[in-house]
Amino acid sequence: MAVIEVSRVSKRFKTYDRKEGVWGGIQNLFRRNPREVKAVDDVSFTVDAGEMVGYIGANGAGKSTTIKMLTGILVPSSGSIRANGYVPYRDRHQYTRGIGVVFGQRTQLWWDIAVVESFQLLKRIYDVSDRTFEEQLEVFDAVLNLKPLLYTPVRKLSLGERMRCDLAAAFLHRPRIVFLDEPTIGLDVVAKENIRQFLKRINAELQVTVVLTTHDLSDIEELCRRVLIIDRGHLLFDGSLEGLRERFECKSQIVFELREPGQVDFGRLGFNSTVEFQQLDALRCQAVFDKKQVASAELIKAIVNSLAVRDVMLDDTTIEEIVREIYSRGEVVTR
Amino acid sequence: MTVTPYIAFARIAFLKILAYRLRYYTGIVTYMVNVSVYYFIWKALYRGKESLGEFTFEEMITYVSVGFIIRTFYFNNIDREIANDILLGHIAAKMTRPVNYQWMNIAQAAGESFFRLFMFTVPTALAILVVFPLRAPASLHSALAFLAALVFSFMVFAALNFLVGTCAVYLHSILGLIRAKYFLVEILSGLLIPISFFPETLAEISRWLPFQLISFTPLMIYMGKFQGEQLVTSFLLGLGWTLVLVGLGHWFWRKAATKLTVQGG
Repeated sequence: MAVIEVSRVSKRFKTYDRKEGVWGGIQNLFRRNPREVKAVDDVSFTVDAGEMVGYIGANGAGKSTTIKMLTGILVPSSGSIRANGYVPYRDRHQYTRGIGVVFGQRTQLWWDIAVVESFQLLKRIYDVSDRTFEEQLEVFDAVLNLKPLLYTPVRKLSLGERMRCDLAAAFLHRPRIVFLDEPTIGLDVVAKENIRQFLKRINAELQVTVVLTTHDLSDIEELCRRVLIIDRGHLLFDGSLEGLRERFECKSQIVFELREPGQVDFGRLGFNSTVEFQQLDALRCQAVFDKKQVASAELIKAIVNSLAVRDVMLDDTTIEEIVREIYSRGEVVTR
Repeated sequence: MTVTPYIAFARIAFLKILAYRLRYYTGIVTYMVNVSVYYFIWKALYRGKESLGEFTFEEMITYVSVGFIIRTFYFNNIDREIANDILLGHIAAKMTRPVNYQWMNIAQAAGESFFRLFMFTVPTALAILVVFPLRAPASLHSALAFLAALVFSFMVFAALNFLVGTCAVYLHSILGLIRAKYFLVEILSGLLIPISFFPETLAEISRWLPFQLISFTPLMIYMGKFQGEQLVTSFLLGLGWTLVLVGLGHWFWRKAATKLTVQGG
């Protein structure tokens, strides 16, 4: 069942080009040059209940604008959005009761006061009962180790600690949908792992639908089965992570190291038509191939059996490389 | 609309301001200086005169002093805070909560005002009382009416600030506008000069504008110069303008919210 339906949504902004220099500055006073920017252009997708979807794109691709439309902050220029049964910007008041939002770049908590006071305020805003409140805090504490942070003012927390609190705040009222805009930005490995564990658990246990944007593709690999890729306002890919791999991961490579320096006759291996061999230096060789045509196990077997090798390394294309490739190609593919 | 979250907002504003209470000690000094300046100005103007208009010198000093004392209560920076929210993009997070943005701002300002009442208004009043000869309220009746008038004083000031702040959605930088409003309110509210001292036409117009409700009206009530029918008119005017300004703010914000662009990120 779809909880989010985005259909043919665009968002256009008007910006003004400014002229340079003193004379340009004076001209700007009298004449402005409006220019229309399409931050999001004809984007459609749906998200099912309980799904955890990764929304990725380069800087300025339109991720945040989409999230802001989904959360009811921005009004789409055209197209329609329905989420949780509401039109987000129109029914903002009722709609926001059922969602949680985290903007990784800035905190939602009150800067100068203890974290627990912010939670208390949120409890009242969302009308959370005392029991639910206590229960939620227990759950969050178990994964996020929240209790030691509760009585500290937000401004004194580290980025990682702050993000843990922000996440807890977003889930406090048991929302059905949670939007996370770069929840792991600027965090160290341990903090990231913490947050991923938390999201996995919450998503599994409470069936919360999660839409998250990120620049860190390992977030996606660990958390999301489905991924949306947006670039320059266009949706480029919508499908499973495996689908993305299958579609774009044409090349794998094996690098192997010889026992003794020497020239290798690759013809002996019998993969001449399907594998591209190359000798990197006296010891190391490289084989580039398509996984769909050649099973890597077969190739490795052939290498190990026919040549005197010390080491074999299989190197898959990472999602990151695929995404970089998609960004540079800019072609549209959907599932 | 349920009220509990807004009380919670007021509470949080109270706590927030508690974190910066030091600021208020310098504030008391500033207000003392303000009152002193006006004391000497009026002293010069009253030289050789028994009274000006309907005010004796003593009454005038009471008018000015109490005017500044209540300013410590009703004052708020809603306009500046909205401008900040919009300029720095905090508005995004605030819009994702099921609360009315206007009432959230007013509630926070109320929390602040409540705090100021104890931490700022009372000490300032005491400090001024030690130095300058102030008159007590004209009667118990006047004193109670004065306190009630302060509610409108706060509401009108807050609602005006909300309107000015909302302009930031369209103008982005509203520092100039805020400054213009500041001077306009100082003059037209009767904080610096009683409205009855204005040129006749301006005085007549000002009597129907909302600004007088901020300062002039409560002060005239305090001094017992507004009584009976005039008192009733004042309260009706206060109620009417509060409803109109809050209503305008509600309408303006709804319109502006659809034009919102979020800065940064």
